[in-house]
Amino acid sequence: MAEQMKDKNQQQEQVDVHYWRSFRELYRDPQLLEEKHREFKEGVTDDFSPDQLSQISRRKFFALVGASAALAGAGCTDYREKGAVVPYNKQPEEVLPGKPNFYASTCTACPTACGILIKTREGRPIKVDGNPDHPVSKGKICSKGQASILNLYDPARLRNPKKKNGNSITSVAWKNVDEHIRSSITASVESGKEIAIITHSVVSPTAKKLLDEFAQSYPGTRVYAYELFHEENRNNAWRKCYGSGTFPLLKWDEAKVVLSLESDFLGNEGNKIEQVRLFTDGRDIMKTDTFNRLYSAESAMTLTGMNADYRLRIKADRQLEFVLSLLNEIVVKKGAGEVSLSALGVISKYSLTDFIETNGLPEKVISHLIDDLLANRGKSIVHAGRSLSEDVHIAVNVLNEALGNTALYLTSSEPVTYHTLSPKDELSELIEKMSSGEVGVLINYDSNPVYHLPSDYGFTDAMKQVPTVITLTELDSETSHESHYVLPINHTFESWGDAQTRTGYYSLQQPVIAPLLDTRQKEEILLRWMSAEDNTDGNPYHRYLMDHWENAIYAGARRSVDFRTFWYAALHDGVITERAESRSFNRVNPDALGGIELPAAGEGFTLLLQESYFLGDGKFANNGWLQEIPHPVSKIAWDNYAAISDASAKKLGVKNDDLVTIETDGRSLDLPVFVQPGTADGAVAVMLGYGRTKTAVVADNVGFNANLLMSKDSRQSPWVYTGVSVKKARGTYRVVSTQEHHAFDIPRVQDIHYIRHIIQEGTIEKYQKDPDFLDEYKHDLFSITTQKEYTGVKWAMSIDLNKCIGCADCVTACNVENNVPVVGKDQVQVGREMHWIRIDRYYSGTPEEPKIAMQPMLCQHCDKAPCENVCPVVATVHSEDGLNQMVYNRCVGTRYCSNNCPYKVRKFNFFNFRDHFRRGYYRSDLVELVNNPEVTVRSRGVMEKCTFCVQRISDARETATQEGRPLKGSDVTTACQDACNADAIVFGDMNDPESKIAKYRDHNLGYVVLEELNVRPNVTYLAKLRNIHTEDK
Amino acid sequence: MDKSLLDHILRIRLPVTIFVIIVAFTITYFASRAERDGIGYTPTQPIDFSHALHAGEMQIDCQYCHTGVEKGRHANIPSVSSCMNCHAIAKRDSPQIQRLTRHYEEGIPLEWERIHRVPDFAYFSHSVHVNKGIDCANCHGNVEQMDKVGQVQSFTMGACLDCHREPHKQMPELAGLIQKGPEDCAACHR
Repeated sequence: MAEQMKDKNQQQEQVDVHYWRSFRELYRDPQLLEEKHREFKEGVTDDFSPDQLSQISRRKFFALVGASAALAGAGCTDYREKGAVVPYNKQPEEVLPGKPNFYASTCTACPTACGILIKTREGRPIKVDGNPDHPVSKGKICSKGQASILNLYDPARLRNPKKKNGNSITSVAWKNVDEHIRSSITASVESGKEIAIITHSVVSPTAKKLLDEFAQSYPGTRVYAYELFHEENRNNAWRKCYGSGTFPLLKWDEAKVVLSLESDFLGNEGNKIEQVRLFTDGRDIMKTDTFNRLYSAESAMTLTGMNADYRLRIKADRQLEFVLSLLNEIVVKKGAGEVSLSALGVISKYSLTDFIETNGLPEKVISHLIDDLLANRGKSIVHAGRSLSEDVHIAVNVLNEALGNTALYLTSSEPVTYHTLSPKDELSELIEKMSSGEVGVLINYDSNPVYHLPSDYGFTDAMKQVPTVITLTELDSETSHESHYVLPINHTFESWGDAQTRTGYYSLQQPVIAPLLDTRQKEEILLRWMSAEDNTDGNPYHRYLMDHWENAIYAGARRSVDFRTFWYAALHDGVITERAESRSFNRVNPDALGGIELPAAGEGFTLLLQESYFLGDGKFANNGWLQEIPHPVSKIAWDNYAAISDASAKKLGVKNDDLVTIETDGRSLDLPVFVQPGTADGAVAVMLGYGRTKTAVVADNVGFNANLLMSKDSRQSPWVYTGVSVKKARGTYRVVSTQEHHAFDIPRVQDIHYIRHIIQEGTIEKYQKDPDFLDEYKHDLFSITTQKEYTGVKWAMSIDLNKCIGCADCVTACNVENNVPVVGKDQVQVGREMHWIRIDRYYSGTPEEPKIAMQPMLCQHCDKAPCENVCPVVATVHSEDGLNQMVYNRCVGTRYCSNNCPYKVRKFNFFNFRDHFRRGYYRSDLVELVNNPEVTVRSRGVMEKCTFCVQRISDARETATQEGRPLKGSDVTTACQDACNADAIVFGDMNDPESKIAKYRDHNLGYVVLEELNVRPNVTYLAKLRNIHTEDK
Repeated sequence: MDKSLLDHILRIRLPVTIFVIIVAFTITYFASRAERDGIGYTPTQPIDFSHALHAGEMQIDCQYCHTGVEKGRHANIPSVSSCMNCHAIAKRDSPQIQRLTRHYEEGIPLEWERIHRVPDFAYFSHSVHVNKGIDCANCHGNVEQMDKVGQVQSFTMGACLDCHREPHKQMPELAGLIQKGPEDCAACHR
């Protein structure tokens, strides 16, 4: 016994060699070790004393029940009455109650404009998926797009137009608003003042035409466009290198080697959907055993860095030097590729060896990088992040050309820009004009410049000098608060529109529901202002859109059908394709490198401002589902934070949750610290999109507004600042993360999960030599109970860890499909988030250079499920088709099942979270419409967990019966599978030997987690193979 | 207390009382069962629609009105516009039809009294049952003979399971055509 204790203690004190999930775990924080002994976190049952739940005593409760029953008995004329059934008066032809309809449309969550398929039930949208016919997004969309359905039903949406009179705000009718504004605009035109429209980027050809026509009918109108995150540095560099055009699209699927420089192309840069699909296609073990190789050089740990085979820690301001040194090494030293003479003059000053030395980089990795780039000339991509300066992009263009990688520039299609973003000078000029009273009317066209624009523009003050400020918005915002008119606009799902982001296709957007509130779509509002008399019936923009399509797009498409047929076909498909002109590329401008200047090596930190993965530029801050999805790397929900390295934290004397003051050129912000393994020393990374104010209940005061750190005169790029001071500030701020609870281990064997092969992995070379290398972890399993035979369809899932990038889009899909409630920060803190699927993230190695493994974890539907044996009321049982079923009606909430679950995937409803979150914010008639009617809405006191989307299985069975055939495994897809951009999730019938799932289950790399428990899980993971050179394993 | 009285209470009165209570409860329980399950519930509808006339005498197929029964979960109460397919011409002088027409023309919702109902947490699908060849009458009775439709079968979980376990006992005509129905919880609850 004593020896055992000693062993155990030794295990606890062992440091570092294996997987660890946080610094507290790595350094064996005694408090954490103590916590892990426990089944649940401390405090999980706090505030759960019956006194707090209800003030009514038991006796009084019974008295009331008795009295109500007596009253009900006496008062009801017919206790058998079952309510009314109300059929349609005139039933729409396509609607059959109980059956969903799907409509193709276009997502407007970000300027990428993916094709979507909206599922509606009895006329209300309940789910959004990608449109499989869309040539770019190919049936997938991101978390923002999926969760945008909650914005449609957001209780805080503005319900009617508002006018500000002095300090009071009054609701006004659209008719009056239109009259007032028309006269203000006319007055402004007559007095020769400017009418300024501030919009985000325009991807719709028809909206562009509308803006142009508006400007024609009201001379003096100017349209300004801005984005918080944009590709202008990349495109400006492209124009300096190649004269004209924009940065081309890339053939990611043909790249054998990718070097990403501070670029999060898998996370939130460019067309993420397409990039993830093409990139992970090169890591499909079913197709190839020679994977592509990803090098990532970055200062902050991003989703892309997390998936890199090799990762280098380089601060954002050193990237230019890095690229130039690489150029020097490749072109001058190795004599590969050609650059112009003047470029040669520039690059010869930089030495890679010096760079490695000054930045403390691993020499071996760099030499592999050089070798790989040289060996894969014409088949590699060097990609700089959008936040890097123009100079870096120029150098990268030169490097790509020297390596012959221009072969991977896509020639068949090119990006389309309908309205170029306003450069800094143009915006400054606007603000000057606003201050001097030269702007008569300012229209914030679904934009929020008060929040987004750097404060040194002085936008807010300038806005006060404009006599009429009009804001078109769905929700209140920082800008609407300062406006004279706030006009509520339609949600995407209530609007008409179109989009084109690259040549070769147009995508169409159609409303799937009539406006729920007294709103109009933003284009309609402008359109109505353009005509003198108000024609109130219907949405005039519908007609406008059709006219533009008839005159421009239909005419250009040269189809043999008439326009009506063409239009309805386009509406049905959501997209039309046309032949795009093939693009050709010149040689890079020989003097492009001429103007390059290294940023001054300043003292202090380098600040990197990042886009939030789920909130975008803050547009989705009022979406509870998105706020609650843990950050893919840090697993933090409901907050942003200053991510710094372990060494920096020690130097500053701070630990997690301590507040620090970040200061740059007089702008400062206090933020909590999070020590993020893998951050470059001397770098600090902060996400934008948080810290909204004056919006609505969910968004307000969540996180910190780091836009305040931005400056219009940023030297390198709007998102990178050097010479930033970071100092310890007074106080702490609790940031909550989902990473330390869900301790995987059972108390008896706690802390040995790293030797339990929960994550199994190898390298490509190892796999090529011995495909069965995982066999050494296999167990001879012996059971004293008999195994039940499953003869019919048996459901199983497989998750390919080679393809999974850990983006959490599956989590969002699951939330929407299965009515998963939002619980709020306070509940996440005590480990009560309700997500049915979570992405476990494991670190291994050192805090400086961590190696990361991700694993989506959901109910494993074990054949011998331990949860089933312990339920005293048989509320969780097994079905004939291999599902572990959860019966809410039987559940009495003992939580024994969760206790006995080795995977910790069961979630308990500690509250009725719809009532509990933000005082019942999501308990509203409007929000109830978002619920999937095929899935029970769970109440307080019941356990829940992944059901393998049993409602979809039932639906498929219904269809199969209707068609008179047996149910096939391929009839069903789960919500997470539909959403997975990388196609990492496969679902089907494991008893069908021909099925895809059977092949995955039998694959050499397939393993089940905690196999030795012999619970026989039905979720198989394919072990991750790292594409690294063997000697540095 | 007198000893013999106590003896009498304990030996005779108490057991008799308990017996009477149990018997009364049992009789009430079983006697009222049908009533409690809703069997025989025949509410008055807003419009005197006769299934005996439409489905019986005129032989209109059930699916002419209940369009969803083969395609989806709900059989569907027909929309007012379906009625108007015929009644735009047929029997326009009847006051009931005039009422119906008013609903149609003025767009007033027509609220039929609900007769059959399974709870919200039970996901019953008409299409699966009908497509397996189960006749409507098995659950709904001989509707084509009812002037006023009422509930004839119990719609409890027990009633569902009786049939799922022994379908051939209930529906001998389907012997050899269908097998047992699923008994998994998730077949109905999810």
